[in-house]
Amino acid sequence: MDRRLVVMGRSGWASALIAMLLAPAAQAVPSFARQTGMACEACHTVFPELTHFGRMFKANAYTVDNLKPVRGVSATREEMLALSGLPPIALMVQVSQTSIAKAIPDGAGNFSQSSSVAFPQQISLFYAGKIAPRLGAFIQLTYGNDSGTVGIDNVDLRWANNQVLPGDKSLIYGITANNNPTVQDLWNSTPAFGYPYAASNANVSPLAATQIDGTLGQDVAGVSLYAMWNESLYGEIGTYRSAKQGAANALTGAAGPLDGTTSNVIVGGAPYYRLAYEYLWGRHSLSVGVYGATFKLVPGGSTDAPGTLSGPANEFRDNAEDFQYQFIGDQHLFTLAGTHIREKMTLNASFGDGLGADNLRDDLATTRLTGTYYYKRKYGATVGLFSTTGSLDAQLYAGDAPIVVTSASGKPDTRGWMAELSYMPWLNTRLSLQDTQYSKFNGGSTNYDGFGRNASDNNSLYLLVWFNY
Amino acid sequence: MKTLIRTVGVVAALVMSQRSVATEEISAEARLAAQRVAVTVCATCHGRQGRSVAPKFPALAGQHPKYLAAQLQAFKAQTRGDADAVGYMWGMAAPLSDEMIAALAAYYGAQSPGPGSGGDAGAIARGADIYANGVTAEGIPPCVACHGPGAAGTDEFPRLAGQHAQYLLKQLRSFQNNMRNVAVMHGVAQDLKANEMEAVAAYLQSLR
Repeated sequence: MDRRLVVMGRSGWASALIAMLLAPAAQAVPSFARQTGMACEACHTVFPELTHFGRMFKANAYTVDNLKPVRGVSATREEMLALSGLPPIALMVQVSQTSIAKAIPDGAGNFSQSSSVAFPQQISLFYAGKIAPRLGAFIQLTYGNDSGTVGIDNVDLRWANNQVLPGDKSLIYGITANNNPTVQDLWNSTPAFGYPYAASNANVSPLAATQIDGTLGQDVAGVSLYAMWNESLYGEIGTYRSAKQGAANALTGAAGPLDGTTSNVIVGGAPYYRLAYEYLWGRHSLSVGVYGATFKLVPGGSTDAPGTLSGPANEFRDNAEDFQYQFIGDQHLFTLAGTHIREKMTLNASFGDGLGADNLRDDLATTRLTGTYYYKRKYGATVGLFSTTGSLDAQLYAGDAPIVVTSASGKPDTRGWMAELSYMPWLNTRLSLQDTQYSKFNGGSTNYDGFGRNASDNNSLYLLVWFNY
Repeated sequence: MKTLIRTVGVVAALVMSQRSVATEEISAEARLAAQRVAVTVCATCHGRQGRSVAPKFPALAGQHPKYLAAQLQAFKAQTRGDADAVGYMWGMAAPLSDEMIAALAAYYGAQSPGPGSGGDAGAIARGADIYANGVTAEGIPPCVACHGPGAAGTDEFPRLAGQHAQYLLKQLRSFQNNMRNVAVMHGVAQDLKANEMEAVAAYLQSLR
C-alpha cells in the first residue's frame, strides 16, 4: 500500500500547488451589475472585495434584480417561472508577465527563462446571478494556461430566504452548495476570496498550505446551512465530501465510485463551521470571526500506483480566526484584513518510515495580514504580510521532491511580504504590478533546497492586466 | 423672493402630482410587502427603520412620503442624476410598482427620525443663520422659507433635520453642477460658497 499523503508525496504537493494557484481566481462579475442595475461600487470597494451591501447580496443568494422576468404561472396563479430577461453571463480575462529574481535550473543543468508571459493566464466564463426567486448561482469555468484546458473553477449555488423580526430586524437564512471551503464566505479575510486576489501561476510556490487554505478547492463538494441575524451575526455549519474532477473508477471506467486510484479522499463528511460578527458605524465596518473544518483523508494512490481507500486516515483539524476592517469614503477607501489558521495533523496513515511522515502529529500555521488603500477607486496600493510555520518533518516536507520546490531542513516555514500598485481606468478593469519578497522559503533563508537556492531567489515581479465584462 | 418661492411651489406640485398613489389607497398587503423590502433590502444601506449609519446613504426615517415617492419615481424614470442615484438607486428603483413606491414611502414616513449629531459649534451657528436668513449680500434666500422651521419639511419639500451632513453637502454640490437637475435648488445653491454649504449641512445634521 502506498500511503502517500497529500502535502507530502510528489503528486500531493503538486495538486496542493495547483489548488492554491486556482483558488485566488477571482470574482467580480459584471453580470451582477447587469442584473441589479447597480454600479460595481455598490457591492465592491474595488473588485473583488465586498462592501456590506455586497455581503448581503451574496447572503441573499445573488437574487436582487431589476430586470423584467419571463414569467410562468399555473391556473391557480402559483408562480412557476420567473426567468431573468438576460442570462447573467460574464467573462474575465487575465494577461500577465512574471519575472523571477533568479532563473530556475532545468533538468539538463541549464536555466529556464526567468520571465514568463501568460497570454492569457486565465479566461473565465461566469454564470453569476439569479436562477429563480430565492435561488442564485456563482459558477465559474476557467481556461488556464498551465493546464491548457477548460475546467470547473469556483462554484457556489445558493437558496436563501429572509424574515422580518420584531423591531424590524432581519433574519437571512439559506443553504449553499459549493466546491471550495470558504468560497461561500461573505468576508475577504478568509482564504478563497482573500488577498492576493490574483497571483502568478509562473512563480515558485511554497510547498506547505493548510487544507482549508485552498488546498481542496474544486476537489470537494459541500453543503452548509447559514443564517445571518440583523445583518451582523453570521453562523454557518456544513459538511464536505470528496468530489474529484477527472477521476474514473478503475474497474468500470465510470465517473465513480472513487477507488484507490485517486488520492486524498475524504472519509465520510468533513464538518465545517463559521461564526462572525460585523459592526457598522459611520463609514466604517469591522468584522471578527472564527472558521474551521476537520478533514480525514485516506491517501489512496494514483492510476500508476493504486492504493486503497480503506484503512487508517490522516486527520487535519483546521481552526482559524479572522478580522476585516473597512473604511469606505467617497475619495479614500481603506481595508485591513487578516487571518490566522492553525492546523493540527494526526497522520495515522502516513506516519512511518517510507510512508510519508516522520511524526504522527505535526502542526502547521499560516498568518496573513493585508492593508489596501484606494484613492477614488482608481489608484491603489496594497501591502500584505504572510507567514507559514510548522513542525520539522523531513519526510513530510522533503520527501522525494526535486530541487527548488523542496525543503532541505524539513521545515515548511515561509515568510515574506507582497506590495502591489494598481490602476483602474474603469471599475471593471485593472492594471497591477505585484512584488513578492521572501525572507524565508520552505524552511530556510539561504540554500533552502540544499542545492544553493536562496529564499530571495524566488522573489518575483508580476504584471497583470485584468478585465471583467 | 416671493416669486422664487411661488415658482418652487408650482414646480414641486407638478412633480409631486405625477403617478402618485395616495397613502390611504395602499392595501394592507402592499404595506406588508413594503415592510419586508424595507427591512431586508433597503435597510442594508439606509439602516434599520431608515436611520442610516453610513453618511453616504441618507436617513429616510420620518421623511415626507410624497417627497420620498417622488424621488423613487425619479430614480425609476432615471431623471435624478446625481452620482449615487445613478450607481445605486436607478437599479434599485427600476422594478418598483407605483403601489410599492407609495407603500415604501409611507413606511419610512411613519418611522421616528434618529437623533441628530453635533459638530463644530461655530459652523452650526453660522449654518443656523444662513438657514433662517439666507445670505442677503449674495442673493441667497433663507432655506426656512421652503423647508420650514426646524427643517421639518412639508409634503413638497424634504425634511432635512438630522440628515447626514456629508449627504447634504453632496446634494448641494449636485444641485450646483446640475447633476441633480432641479431648477429651483440649482438657483438657490449655485452661489453658495463651500464654507456656507458646510455650515448649513452641519446645522441641519445637528437638528433632531
